[in-house]
Amino acid sequence: MRNRTFKMKIMPVFIGVLLTLAAGIESAAAQNLPPGAVDFEKRCYSCHNINGGDKKGPDLKGLLDRRSKEWLREFIQAPAAMNRKGDADANALFKKFAPEIMPDQPLAPEQIDGILSLIESLTKKGETFIPTGAKLSRAIEAGDIDAGREAFTGKVALNNGGASCIACHNINGVGRFGGGTLGPDLTAVNTKYKDPELISILQNPNFPTMKSVFGAKPLTDEEIVKLFAYFQSAKFANPAAQTQPAVAPLNLWFPAIGFLGLVLSFVTLNRIWKNRLRGVREDLVRSSKK
Amino acid sequence: MDVRLQISMVFHLDKCIGCHTCSVACKNVWTDRKGAEYMWWNNVETKPGTGYPTKWEDQEKYKGGWERKNGQPELKMGGRVLRVLNVFHNPYMPKLDDYYEPWTYKYEDLLNAPEGADQPTARPISMVTGQHIDIEAGPNWDDDLGGSPVYAANDPNFSALTEEQQAELFEIERLVFFYLPRICNHCLNAGCVAACPSGAIYKRGEDGIVLINQEVCRGWRMCVTACPYKKTFYNWSTGKSEKCILCFPRLETGQAPACFHSCVGRIRYLGGLLYDADKMLDAMNAQDYNLVEAQRDLILDPFDPEVREGALRNGIDDATLEAVRRSPVYKYVKEWKLALPLHPEFRTLPMLFYVPPLLPVMANTDAGTYDTANDELFAPIEKARLPMQYLAKLFSGGNVGEVSYALKKQYAVRLFKRLETVGDMDAATVKQALHEVGMTEGEAEAIYRLTSLPTMDERFVIPPSHREEAMQMLGDDFLLDRGEAGLGLRDRPARGA
Repeated sequence: MRNRTFKMKIMPVFIGVLLTLAAGIESAAAQNLPPGAVDFEKRCYSCHNINGGDKKGPDLKGLLDRRSKEWLREFIQAPAAMNRKGDADANALFKKFAPEIMPDQPLAPEQIDGILSLIESLTKKGETFIPTGAKLSRAIEAGDIDAGREAFTGKVALNNGGASCIACHNINGVGRFGGGTLGPDLTAVNTKYKDPELISILQNPNFPTMKSVFGAKPLTDEEIVKLFAYFQSAKFANPAAQTQPAVAPLNLWFPAIGFLGLVLSFVTLNRIWKNRLRGVREDLVRSSKK
Repeated sequence: MDVRLQISMVFHLDKCIGCHTCSVACKNVWTDRKGAEYMWWNNVETKPGTGYPTKWEDQEKYKGGWERKNGQPELKMGGRVLRVLNVFHNPYMPKLDDYYEPWTYKYEDLLNAPEGADQPTARPISMVTGQHIDIEAGPNWDDDLGGSPVYAANDPNFSALTEEQQAELFEIERLVFFYLPRICNHCLNAGCVAACPSGAIYKRGEDGIVLINQEVCRGWRMCVTACPYKKTFYNWSTGKSEKCILCFPRLETGQAPACFHSCVGRIRYLGGLLYDADKMLDAMNAQDYNLVEAQRDLILDPFDPEVREGALRNGIDDATLEAVRRSPVYKYVKEWKLALPLHPEFRTLPMLFYVPPLLPVMANTDAGTYDTANDELFAPIEKARLPMQYLAKLFSGGNVGEVSYALKKQYAVRLFKRLETVGDMDAATVKQALHEVGMTEGEAEAIYRLTSLPTMDERFVIPPSHREEAMQMLGDDFLLDRGEAGLGLRDRPARGA
């Protein structure tokens, strides 16, 4: 109950914040697309940034000063193979960003060149990459948080048939037993990623696992708005999670209920089959000894 | 009329000497494999006794066979719903201890033991765990009434006897027992077939042999419960169930099954029977006392032209019919009514028949004393030490008339032959005995010949199996039609021993 009133109070404040935010994204989009921008957004942006700091992978600022073009071409197309081959630079990168493994990118050499030139120009200008497509299709409305929660928990199925988020992800306070633990805890996802980054991930989830799940079954624009709103709300509903993200509290109830259930099921099964045959000869011998 | 062929058997209990050669022959051929050590597809029991597995006849415990419910036969272990509910935990299974824990001896200790004050011994070790065990039971633990206060005294068939009769059976100089060799009965309405959730058990259309398809069996073990004779076994090594296959590879090449072939007393007969499948439901639904008669009614006369027509219609050819006409089983079961099914009240329509034993031959009680030197030489069967009710419980669903008819007939044959060969009988008495069972002298002679002097070819009349035709009936792509399920066989079948 306390939780609920708290939510009510912050709701207007935070919707206001979101509205201004969304409007900002809208205005930044009206630019000409530099070459490679689309590919970079689709292929790289989930994990990489230019001039924005390390994400899952390294910041690509000044990439061409560090590596040769030939190396880059080979690495981008098959990073894991290069790591296995024992390339020193590749090994160092894999070590630094473990356990992440950069997936192979089936890009043509021209596409790679386009991306590299984009990196070069942004490095020179000292600008951050701002994805043009990574914006919400509409402004966030009051009901979107709850709608987003329902999409997250699977109460409402995703339109294109993708798996609900809760199957692999947890958010503090979702569901009776929390969400899945295969993917990372998303409680603080909105501080981990900047807003356009998060939207971009929702649009093109380029992580190997997510890609295989959502590649053919992408989220709709409407779902992205709702989920984004829900992720944003987590920031306000659980301020504590911002300082200590991704550590789920150990819930002792879970094993306790499990153990109790096990004992109970044994008792029940024993009662149901209490007339089962427990051996004939042993009884004969025992009764004859009396 | 739906004419089918069944390879059927007769065991003549009056000739069984309880030597277990049949069991050993079967064990050596089929069940000396890992996981099958405890199985005895053929076993010989002493009656009275509890048999193998212990008290297998007690269906209140094991829930085998069929029972009549609302005029319909239903498996005693429960209908479909109950079986599904119990599918992961079948509650009516015999434990390994009820069969016995198979063992061998550590013979190498005899040679490898260090020198000491005592002779080395070969200790028994379990063939299941490999650990030392104290042997407490075996597949024939109560042989010759061994341990009778524990075992024979608890024979389930004693329910047909009064307390006095039971006590009499164990009195000194009145003790009586006989042997009961058992294999799979290859029943017409086998409980195992009906209970199998995987559809792995089937009755071969061409000869009625009941088999378990090892490729399809998933080891649910419903058949173990459903078979009232406890003749399907679970192989703990392969995870599949197994049973007597009536040595069909031998039958198909014209040889008698191993247990038949090796029988020292030559008690076993094998031959084809034709039966009318349309009448089966009636036979299963008969009252207990009527079951033997109903089952006998199923069996068709192979000399009847109408039957021949029906047989040809169902693909049974003249060569097979010819074999069926010479079938010793047909004579014993249908013509002479000497052989009776074992526990027909289980309602599986077993197709192995037993000629009830006439033993002991020279018994007489006079004023409570036991006298072997009897005036009559052969004591009348009414005075037999084994009560008729006991035999009736075993072989005719409690119908004493069937058993006593079979015994009287055998008795009459003895008197008839005694008169002929020794001549110290009163001819009128013999005639009276023959007349009582409605037997001609010719029939008595025939019974005598097939009982005492049969050749191998007379004992085993195996109909030609026509495997080549069976293969054609399966169609060209029968190899593609094979079912696949479960984990399959874990071991490739290997050649050689």
